[in-house]
Amino acid sequence: MRRTPRDELAEATAHGGLYLRRLIRAQVSLSAVALVAFGGVIGALPLALLLLPGLQDVYVLGLPLSIVIIAWPPFVLFIAIAVLYERRAEALEQSFRDLVEPP
Amino acid sequence: MIAIAAIAAVTGATLGLGIYGVRLARTTSDLFVASRAITPWWNAAAISGEYLSAASFLGIAGLQMKIGSGALWLPLGFTAGYLALLLFVAAPLRRFGAYTISDFAEARLGSARVRVLAAFVVLGIAGFYLVPQLKGAGLTLGEVTGAPYWVGVVAVGAVVALNVASGGMRGITYVQAFQYWTKTFAIALPACLLLIHLGGLPERAAMFGQELPQAPAAGLAVELDAPQQVTFPEATSYTVDGAPAQAEAGEEIVLPAGTIGLPGGAVVPVAEGIDAQTGEEWARPVDSSGGDASPVFVYSLLLATFLGTMGLPHILVRFYTNPDGPAARRTTVRVLGLLALFYAFPIVYGLLGRVLVPELYLTGETDSVVLALPEAAWPGLGGEILGALVAAGAFAAFMSTASGLMVSVAGTISFDLWRRGHADMTVRRRRFRVAALGGVLAPVALALVARGLDISVLVGWAFALAASTFCPLLLLGIWWERLTARGAATGLVAGAVTATGLIFAGLAMEGGHPTVDALLTQPAVLSVPVAFAAMVLVSLSDKRRREPAEAALLAMHAPEGLGLGYEEPLVRA
Repeated sequence: MRRTPRDELAEATAHGGLYLRRLIRAQVSLSAVALVAFGGVIGALPLALLLLPGLQDVYVLGLPLSIVIIAWPPFVLFIAIAVLYERRAEALEQSFRDLVEPP
Repeated sequence: MIAIAAIAAVTGATLGLGIYGVRLARTTSDLFVASRAITPWWNAAAISGEYLSAASFLGIAGLQMKIGSGALWLPLGFTAGYLALLLFVAAPLRRFGAYTISDFAEARLGSARVRVLAAFVVLGIAGFYLVPQLKGAGLTLGEVTGAPYWVGVVAVGAVVALNVASGGMRGITYVQAFQYWTKTFAIALPACLLLIHLGGLPERAAMFGQELPQAPAAGLAVELDAPQQVTFPEATSYTVDGAPAQAEAGEEIVLPAGTIGLPGGAVVPVAEGIDAQTGEEWARPVDSSGGDASPVFVYSLLLATFLGTMGLPHILVRFYTNPDGPAARRTTVRVLGLLALFYAFPIVYGLLGRVLVPELYLTGETDSVVLALPEAAWPGLGGEILGALVAAGAFAAFMSTASGLMVSVAGTISFDLWRRGHADMTVRRRRFRVAALGGVLAPVALALVARGLDISVLVGWAFALAASTFCPLLLLGIWWERLTARGAATGLVAGAVTATGLIFAGLAMEGGHPTVDALLTQPAVLSVPVAFAAMVLVSLSDKRRREPAEAALLAMHAPEGLGLGYEEPLVRA
């Protein structure tokens, strides 16, 4: 009987460990990309508001732009990152399933 | 009157559902079986319901009124914490099947010592987090009924302890989901109706211009229960119980208890600990001139909330009701949406409060702005009903968060710290009850002395402590196989000592350099790297034979359906 990668994993062979670590690395890279996207925008916001005090004199919806910009839009960004991440993470796991247990 | 009825209704409903729920969820494994039927939306509402505490309901608007737009970083961080949970923790931890962080520590590192250490950290975080809930309860009951501060603190402490000890609130997803919608409705409806009633934002000059908060044209009368030290930003006349008095600009005066009267248009004096700010200063989200919203403080706060959420003891337990890893992820995405919905509204109260209830600057109790605003903005029955609604929502916030925390505290004391051994279920249940009743005493005592501290600041400490202890433990435990028990223990101690040490140093010292002050108020930016470094360095230099991490890695990361992980998680109890 042919040994599948699944057996290697279940028996904790060196090969199995390799498959698992490849998956973990892929997941970490995905999370890191999402983290950079999030951190880049949110991390830059306080600095941008500090360096561009003029934003406070621009009014949107009757509020200074500097307030509007942190009050609502970042939440939309969070949700967008979360949805994209969730899809990619599930796709990674699906391709791992296909690799480990060929249909 | 309406408000008291509304509070009684929310409390009664919570207690009733709790008692009814005991019959439904007798044991933790029942809870697990029941969880199969719960959809991600229900789970997400339950998680959000438990998470939205006094800090979200009262604290954000209160801090915004006090320090200005710098407070708006709080809801951002509170929500971003779930993004961190989603990216690094939700799915693997659910697969691993650990109920609590102590469970995770013991199962992953094979060390009972780390488990006990983690248990003490849980008590520390829960303590920091419980105090502001009780403080909120004292404030709310005082605002609504005029009862002394301690009445609300003791009452909510007692109700929560009894509720938890009787087994209520234990994993009852539907109750917590109901609490989420109660809170969101209670904060959203008054905010929208007030904006419509006032025709948008009134008096923008005071909000964003050069003006300091002023008494309304008809003058201002404030009742003081106790003498209050205030600073008058501008010279003005005022009255104490009708007797005229005069204050110079910048003068510090201890106002006696009684009725303080200010003429129309007079600049409102500010209580100790509050800076009088012009609208323009107040509206700045980041302020380099050494105010409360200094860049160091903002970044440290964002870091603490982003990394701290995953370490809150009452949050991870809820993830257990997800049937598997992908469901845990789907739930987290929905939590982000539900939190975004709620956090759209506190800002309305913070903005309106500056103009409509400036007397809170004098009393120093800006944390009660959400409660005071409806009646101030809309005199008459309309305001009274809306005031009752926000009071009920606030109570929903204290009850749900405090109950979740008390379950964690009682569980930690009775399972992790009580002398182990072969205790049967009845003994364990009795221990759990004793722990719930005993565990509430310390937070109640602290809440009684901590009246002067802002709800948001207290909660910020809980996040800082969680971010500097459990965040590195979870992240390294899940993603880095070389973490050892000794490394984890060192990191936990290093992070906890650094964070609490800085916080208490900040309480003891007063008024230094603004950057130093910011670090002492929100130490995460220092203590998180210290904890990570300690864990990594000690683990790498640990020469003892390591537990093979392979099985744990497989359990956490192997997708479902391959028969590789634990599949059926470890069930304690």
